[in-house]
Order: sequence, then structure tokens, then C-alpha cells
Amino acid sequence: MSFWIVLGILVAVGLWLIALYNGLVGARNQSQTAWSQIDVQLKRRHDLIPNLVQVVKDAMGYEQETLTKIVQARNAAAAASGPAQAGPAEAALSQATRGLFALMENYPQLKANDNVKQLQEELTTTENKISFARQFYNDSVNSYNTRRQTFPAVLAAASLGFGPIELFNMPEAEREVPKVALR
Amino acid sequence: MAATTDFVAAQKQNRRNTMVLLAGLTALAALVGYLIGALLEGEASGALPLVSSAGLFAAALMGAVSVGWSAISLAMGDKMVLAMSGAKEIDKAVAPQLYNVVEEISIASGVPMPKVMVLETEALNAFATGNRVGNGTIAVTRGLLDTLSRDELQGVVAHEMAHLANLDTRYMVVVGVTVGLIALVCDMALRTLNWGSVQRRSDSKGSSGGGILVVVLLVVAILAPLAAKAVQMAVSRQREYLADATSVQFTRNPTGLISALGKLAEKAAPFPGVSRATQHLFIVNPVQTFTAKTPALLATHPDIEDRIARLRNLGR
Repeated sequence: MSFWIVLGILVAVGLWLIALYNGLVGARNQSQTAWSQIDVQLKRRHDLIPNLVQVVKDAMGYEQETLTKIVQARNAAAAASGPAQAGPAEAALSQATRGLFALMENYPQLKANDNVKQLQEELTTTENKISFARQFYNDSVNSYNTRRQTFPAVLAAASLGFGPIELFNMPEAEREVPKVALR
Repeated sequence: MAATTDFVAAQKQNRRNTMVLLAGLTALAALVGYLIGALLEGEASGALPLVSSAGLFAAALMGAVSVGWSAISLAMGDKMVLAMSGAKEIDKAVAPQLYNVVEEISIASGVPMPKVMVLETEALNAFATGNRVGNGTIAVTRGLLDTLSRDELQGVVAHEMAHLANLDTRYMVVVGVTVGLIALVCDMALRTLNWGSVQRRSDSKGSSGGGILVVVLLVVAILAPLAAKAVQMAVSRQREYLADATSVQFTRNPTGLISALGKLAEKAAPFPGVSRATQHLFIVNPVQTFTAKTPALLATHPDIEDRIARLRNLGR
């Protein structure tokens, strides 16, 4: 009699472990897919920025500081790996890009340049896509993390190899007021 | 209806209202079917029963025809609307900004990338069509592309994507078919039922139940199509409010859509290729001019001022 009770409990625990394992795999895969979507857009942005700098370099000779800053921010962001590292680096890059766009307003010949307009549009859409995809990624990660941290899953999740996943936050860095030349 | 302050609540409220309206329409169609069936049975047997099996049969038939007609419309309607409007599909090279904005909202909404089309007209407008998620089309006019800023265009595209995400395009086809069916059947009823037969019947039967039924049928046949039309328009207006709220959910930026609606109100104009059959699909009504105040009960779209006021409320 007691043999059957023990066997029943073992089978129940086994079934629960299978359900837990499959659920966590599904949630983790969704998070990874969401991250790869963001990653595509981040790479696209890292490719676009050198092109833009190249095009505006001649016209904006007096803005070396800004141009250097954006290239540095771009290189730092490209070198970052994983959501936790990439977050602040990408936020800094967004800010540097906005600073450059603001300064470009002072150069009418750039605003009329089709090449510049196209690059600006591509950078804007890439940034929007990053922020929209980020919402989806963070939602997926939150649901995965909650699932593995709640009782009773928390008892088994770590030993089954399900670690926590990082959120992708882009904190607004110290906002530097863009210099505006009043002429 | 009190103005709601966040979009999730707004969506819930709109969905509930729409369900009530659809239930009302179905009941109306069944009632008309029942009355006609009961009257035909009375005609055959010479006495009008109050509970008629032919009436119940006709009510069920109305429901079945409505479903079948809807299925056909859903399969064909999409292509017909696009052919009628004369919109041309574009790719990214032709209108990069529009294409990019649609891609962005596709990511934000989780709706698969729809086809993107442009209508060659100066009027400012946009519409969406599609019978299921993943098979949608968003079309905007050339005038809209030339006039709106990027943020405003994003608000309008998100409004259209909301129609696709909420399946409004499919839903409005079903409502339209039901309304058309009611109008058709009531029209037929009025033709078969002429005043002579009413007179004859009331003479022979005096104040029996049959005479009352004929009068009820007459009243229903005259009023039902009007009521159905009013309900259809009410559904359409609810869907516009919902799409505005969902648009903000996607973009997290009510100001884009608010200022776009402001410009649309100023510069909306009728344009060729638009008919009353498709007017409810557009972001603002393409047939009526906004100086002419249409009766609120029969308008496909809510007043733009009202829509803007509700969006301002969301932003708070």
C-alpha cells in the first residue's frame, strides 16, 4: 500500500518537473527571440552612425567635439555585450545622436542634403524600433523571471539550469543641455 | 458615457458596448424574421397564431443567411474595397518614412507587417482593411504624407493598425451585412403587405390578435432599418474611440495623433473613389464635410473635437 503511495508521489513530482521545465524553456526562448530582434536593430544603428558622421564631417568642421563624442559612444555601444551592459551604452548613444541632430539644425545645407535626410530617417526609425521592441523584450523577461522565482518553481528552477535574465533598460544619462548658438 | 482616463479601461468599455450593440442587431433581425414568418403562416391558415412555428423558422433563417452572407463578404470584401479605392501598393524605396513608421508600429503592436498603400489624392485621410490578423492593408493619401510630421503620421498609422489589431475591419463587415439584410427583408415585407390587405383583414377579424400583428409588422418594417442603421453607426463610432485609445497604447504619445486629427479636421475633403459603402473605414469621414454638422445618430465617426478631447484626457 505504502509502496503505491510513494510511487504516486514520485510520478506527481515527475510530471510537475516536466511541466515546469517545458514552461521555463518556452518563456526563456521567447525572451531570447525578443532580444535577437533588438540586437538586429542595435547593429543597424551601429552601422548607420559612421555613415552619418562621414557625410556631415566636412560641413560640421567646427563641431569636432560632438562628432568625436558620438563616434566614441557608438564604439562603446558596439563593444557592449548583453542587455545589462548594452542598456546604458545605448542610452548614451541615443543622447549623443539627439545632440548631433540638434546641432545639424544650424546647417541648412545639411538639412537640404538627400543623403543626410535619408540617414536621419533611418536612424530615427531604428531608434523607435529599439524602444518598441524593448517593451516586448522586458515584458517577456519579467514573465520568465516571475515564473522561475515564484514558489514552488523557485525550489527547482536553479538546479534545472534556469538562471535569471537581465532586463534591457536604457536609463536617461545626465542630460547635457545642447549648445545653441544664437545668431 | 463618461470619458475614461486610461486606455486599458477605454478598450474594455468599448468592447462591452460593441457586444451589446451587436446583440441588439441580431435580436432585431430575428424579430423581423419572426413577424414575417408569423404573418405568412396566418395568411395560409386564415388565423394568426401568437406563437408561430413558421415565425421561429424565419427567425432562424435570418440568422443563417446573415452568417452565410457575412462569410462571403469577408472572403471578397477586402479585395473589392482596395480595387474601389484605387490605392497602389508601395515598397520602402518609394516612401521610406511611411514604410518605416508602419514597421515601427508593427513591432509595437505585435501585428504582422501589413501591406502599405498610397492613395494619389490631395485629401488628408487613411484607412485599413483586412479580414484576419496577418492579412492587413494600411493605406494613406498622398496629401497626408505631404502634410503630416513624422510623429503625426505615426499616430495615424497606429490608429489604423489598431483597427487591424482589434479586428474592427472584419467586425464592421459583419455588422454591415446584418444591417443590409434587415433593410432588404423589411423592404420586401412592406411590398408584400399593402394597405388593402390590412384593411380587409381588420374588417373581417375586427380587433383580433391578427390585426395587431399586422400593425406591429408595419411599424417594425418601417422602423427596423432605421434603428439598425443607427446601431451600425454607433458601433462604428465606438470603434473609432477604441482605435484612438489603442493608437496611444502603441505609440505612448498622444500628442502625435491629437495634432494629426487637428490637421485632418481643417483639411479633410471629399475625394474621388470614395463611396458611402467604404466611408466607415477611414480615419475621418471622407464623404461628409466637417462644416456641415451631420446628425450625431447617423454619423460614421465621432466629432473630431470630441475625439481630441478624449485623447487629451488619456495624456493626463
